[in-house]
Amino acid sequence: MSDGALSFQYATPDQQRETVALGMWAFLATEVLFFGALIAAYFNYRIWFGAEFIAAARMTKVVLGTTNTAVLLTSSACMAMAVSTFEGGARRAPVVWLLATALLGVAFIAIKSFEYWLEYQEHLVPALNFDLARHGGVAEIFFMFYFCATGLHALHLLIGIALVSWLAWWIGSGRIDRAGSTTRLIGLYWHFVDIVWIFLFPLIYLAGRNG
Amino acid sequence: MSAMTVLRCWLALMLLLALTTGLAFAPLGSATLFVSLTVAAAKALLVLLLFMELKAGNALIRAFAAAGFFWLMIMIALTAADYTHRTDVRVPLDNPAD
Repeated sequence: MSDGALSFQYATPDQQRETVALGMWAFLATEVLFFGALIAAYFNYRIWFGAEFIAAARMTKVVLGTTNTAVLLTSSACMAMAVSTFEGGARRAPVVWLLATALLGVAFIAIKSFEYWLEYQEHLVPALNFDLARHGGVAEIFFMFYFCATGLHALHLLIGIALVSWLAWWIGSGRIDRAGSTTRLIGLYWHFVDIVWIFLFPLIYLAGRNG
Repeated sequence: MSAMTVLRCWLALMLLLALTTGLAFAPLGSATLFVSLTVAAAKALLVLLLFMELKAGNALIRAFAAAGFFWLMIMIALTAADYTHRTDVRVPLDNPAD
């Protein structure tokens, strides 16, 4: 991704910025459908297995899930601050906000890993140690969905953490052009990963809590 | 985007998170899924419009952003329509005369 001066095919920096954002949104639309297929599968399971499927969702750790949602929403706010201070011309502030964003991302992964470890202890990991006799087949399907969805989300977040850390390093050493779009693009990606979690959270952690 | 906008948006997101978590434990019966997804959509809209700057973006970018969600809605609606109306048809393997 070229971040320097205006590329030859554009008339103005604004046009370049819009084109780059449009390209990112085209990519994000494919990502919406990628995670959307998983969510469509979730609804089908819910329609087919009903109460049993929802009962399995109650075995997830709602306190850890809610904490992680707060962590990720806060990281998005930090990312928004990074973009706005960077484009406002500040030099140190965006680096600090980006580091905060990356650290919150790492905190999310740490909490998620702890949760996975708890689930491993409870014999809830399909294909590894799932206790079919204790939890039942429908619960195994739920946890299959759970590990696929949260695992893929965590993978996206790890990529995001790497991008944000790299960006902090490059802005800190003055290698990112303020007229470029790199910061804004990485911001869009980070917020998108946040949106995926916003929808996974109620489906995984809040289902069946009132039953 | 001003720091004040970011702060307000973050506060709204935190309030919505508290609201949806609280409501999940309320005796709402089967409406609970609808309620939690509505709050999730509100949170996502805040992130999309403010943090992802779609509010300030041009129409083409907004159309691209909406397209993914639009096709997703079609996919989910049609698959759900299919699966809700499927009955458990069991092929009478044991007794072909049925």
